[in-house]
Amino acid sequence: MYASRNISLCTKDCLCLFVCPTGATDTETGQIDRDTCIDGCRACVDACPSHAIHLVFEEYPEPKAKDPSVSEALMSLGAGKIEQEGLARGLSEDDGNPGAARLARALARSSRILAEDGVREAGFLTPQCRASKAYLAELAESAEGGDRDTLRALSAD
Amino acid sequence: MAYAHAATAVLSNLAKAAEKQHRDDEAADFGILADRFRPTSPPEGGLAELRDGLEEDLDSEYPAIRSAADTQGDRGALRAVTWGEKVTKIQKSLVDRYLAKGEALMEGKDLFLCEACGFIYLGDAAPDICPVCKAPASRFSRVK
Repeated sequence: MYASRNISLCTKDCLCLFVCPTGATDTETGQIDRDTCIDGCRACVDACPSHAIHLVFEEYPEPKAKDPSVSEALMSLGAGKIEQEGLARGLSEDDGNPGAARLARALARSSRILAEDGVREAGFLTPQCRASKAYLAELAESAEGGDRDTLRALSAD
Repeated sequence: MAYAHAATAVLSNLAKAAEKQHRDDEAADFGILADRFRPTSPPEGGLAELRDGLEEDLDSEYPAIRSAADTQGDRGALRAVTWGEKVTKIQKSLVDRYLAKGEALMEGKDLFLCEACGFIYLGDAAPDICPVCKAPASRFSRVK
């Protein structure tokens, strides 16, 4: 686990510089140097008065398994929301009605977010979880060429 | 595969998950794949057809998820239904208002999208807090 700074929260009080044993928090980029950050140290996380620093995990626990009845219903929703996104995208180039086109662009993006939230709760929470790996492996079989190679690499442990 | 149209959403969701884990290469791969798996021939129609789809979600899709999630005690899924139903109602309301008022509805107003839950706000400035998911104003984008 290494530390990462959210620049938009950082109030530049620089307590992280005081407590860091390796100087990893003091860089010209404003980001914490991953190479010198001590695994799991978290001194800067605890010292930061603006809560701008968090630990990035390298491993994640397996999420709670989803019941197939819940997953199925959510995947059905996700597929429908993607169809709505497609329909809305088709309306987003309406030159004669700029307001309608703008509304369609918002609806398309909103539908995508609803689809993503649905499928996430269907069991695809992290790229590392078993459900995601199995899904990517199955998707690879329906893909060709470079897409298949990328999907296979992403589905590998 | 079942629900093949959902594949692009699985991939773009994993792109976001990888990005939050600072796995930038994986996030980029998932993002490219999400585009490749978009449905090749999306349904055609106007705002009226879109409105019918939203109504269908509110009448049958969300209640079906709620029923399954209730039975299983799946609070994560219930959370997604709670937010999703609210956002879908807002979507439908905006479409209905546009169908009634036309371009006049949009004139002089901006659209703001909550990147966390999909809530859409029509007005002068993004809300301080998303009324659906309570994300701060910084999570809103103006839709151009």
